[in-house]
Amino acid sequence: MKYLEFVNSLLKNEVAKQDKLVVFGQNISAGSCLGGLTRGLSVRNNSKIINSTNSENTLCGFGFGMMINGVSSIFFMKQLDFLLLGIDHLVNTYNIIRNAKQDNSSSFTIMPIIVDNGYQGPQSSFNNLPDMCSIARIPGFAITTKWEIEKIISSELISPGFRIITVSQRLFKEELLSPEKLYYSNDKNTVFQYSSGHDATIICFNFSFPQGWLLHQELSKNNINTSIFNVISATPTEWNRIIESVQNTRKLVIIDDSKSNNLACDALVTDICGTCDLKKKIILKRQLSDGWLNPTSDIMELDMKHIMNELTN
Amino acid sequence: MNSDHRRIIHDVLWLRLAQMIVNEEYKAGKFKIPIHLALGHEAIVVALNHFMQDEDKILLTHRNIAYNLARLGRLKPILDEYLLKSTGLAKGKLGSMNLENLQRGIIYSSSILGNNFSVATGVAMAQKILPQNGVTMVLGGDGSIEEGTFHETLLMLKSLNLGAFVIIENNEWSMSTRIDQRRCPIDLGKLTSSYDIKYVRLEGNDPFLYLEQLKKLRKLALDGIPVCIEVMVTTLGDWIMKTPEIPDGKFVNYHAGPAPTVEMKDWPLLIKTNEEDPIFVLNKYLDQAGLEEMSKEIRQEIDKELTI
Repeated sequence: MKYLEFVNSLLKNEVAKQDKLVVFGQNISAGSCLGGLTRGLSVRNNSKIINSTNSENTLCGFGFGMMINGVSSIFFMKQLDFLLLGIDHLVNTYNIIRNAKQDNSSSFTIMPIIVDNGYQGPQSSFNNLPDMCSIARIPGFAITTKWEIEKIISSELISPGFRIITVSQRLFKEELLSPEKLYYSNDKNTVFQYSSGHDATIICFNFSFPQGWLLHQELSKNNINTSIFNVISATPTEWNRIIESVQNTRKLVIIDDSKSNNLACDALVTDICGTCDLKKKIILKRQLSDGWLNPTSDIMELDMKHIMNELTN
Repeated sequence: MNSDHRRIIHDVLWLRLAQMIVNEEYKAGKFKIPIHLALGHEAIVVALNHFMQDEDKILLTHRNIAYNLARLGRLKPILDEYLLKSTGLAKGKLGSMNLENLQRGIIYSSSILGNNFSVATGVAMAQKILPQNGVTMVLGGDGSIEEGTFHETLLMLKSLNLGAFVIIENNEWSMSTRIDQRRCPIDLGKLTSSYDIKYVRLEGNDPFLYLEQLKKLRKLALDGIPVCIEVMVTTLGDWIMKTPEIPDGKFVNYHAGPAPTVEMKDWPLLIKTNEEDPIFVLNKYLDQAGLEEMSKEIRQEIDKELTI
């Protein structure tokens, strides 16, 4: 099953169950339906699907306004960078509401697509959900694997409060990544562990898990057994399990595919360096050339042989 | 004059006195937080207060003091809030610019220009979905109509058939600049008609006429027809600032902080002796002696409340 198909099926399921839910966004039930993300959504009679105007700032306020007056909503958004127009609401409105501590059980979720499928030019330069979330400490989830998608959509899509959940456009047509076993996830559903090995610890951030999983598999073929984690939220988060693993393996590989200056992995690197006696530290970030804003394939490639050599030396 | 009429006059006078008392505390340096007084706005505030019903919701700006005072009907919890005391309306946690009162329909107050317009679209949508038999009202100043959110909000209200009131208190200033010094004029009537949104202009500071107009508009809102109401106001409290560099003095419009030239008096409570001052307009309905007597009674009420 493809990633998009799986996400879409769970969304349809959740949305169809809810009373008095408003689902809105530009062209969510017209045309391609956001590349298929919102195709086939249907709601109960007392709910509403709105193909909205191009008013991203006010649409963010719209969701918050419904939330404070007792109605849950989901704002589906074609691209993460559209959310930049609504930053006033992500910071000021959200903070005003949080500070007032209004007692209500309604939900507001924004679900933007990260445009990381390549050849999009400048509009794919902003691919870092944690960066967006960090400005107001917003709960945010970048979902990649079957486990993460199931867990986050079932528990967070419609639940009291506000959050941002993103999907990767690059993964839409890819086979859904379904690691055989979920070894661990923390209480906040922000850290997921998919294998347990003593030779190295791989930690992935943003949407770099496919690269990390490939690395894990390649290393396994060469009898290097790793623990692999995916951190799907803004950071720092509750990651004691990761630090325990690094303390055990003493070999660290971090992969972060974000293009921002502020990287989600930086907070973990700080924590690890303060608490772990490392034999090896490999931090893999984007190497952005002069042409990084040009339309390119946009894939973060890893030099598997080099990493393997580093880990075995 | 019937009791409802007397009540409205009472409320205008009460609101003026209450704000003057806040101003005196402010001049004495009692507050750490910024407060934006609304002297001169009493007519529309009192009219809206009498218009509001249980399921109505109102979203305010940083200049929400008069609305919060009017909706609550008491001064002490607001004063205590401004002093950040736990006995304040919001237990000292909201201060002035974001002060709300859910029990009295003030669902949101924002310190960011134009921010509350957007949130109002959602509040209005929720009223439709739940449903609630109330009107969503959102306030803004004439500076806020320059924000893109104002346009987006009008567009969304009309497109989604959300019957809200968008109320623009036009004092012809934005902070320290007269509107006509910083931009081209915006004809709100023409702007709103381009969205096919009903436009109403209120001026003259007569709370009775304002209330009558608002009541006529309620059914439109409940039928999903948005209305833009432009209210001409004068934010009172301006002064002439003299410095060695400007010995003749420079006109300073009141925006925030204490109003240094507004003095606390038992009577008159007038700041201006013309229609720019809602207290002056009350002379149409009650003579000077009557207003003075009422004002003294109100002062005693407030003193008693503050003593307790």
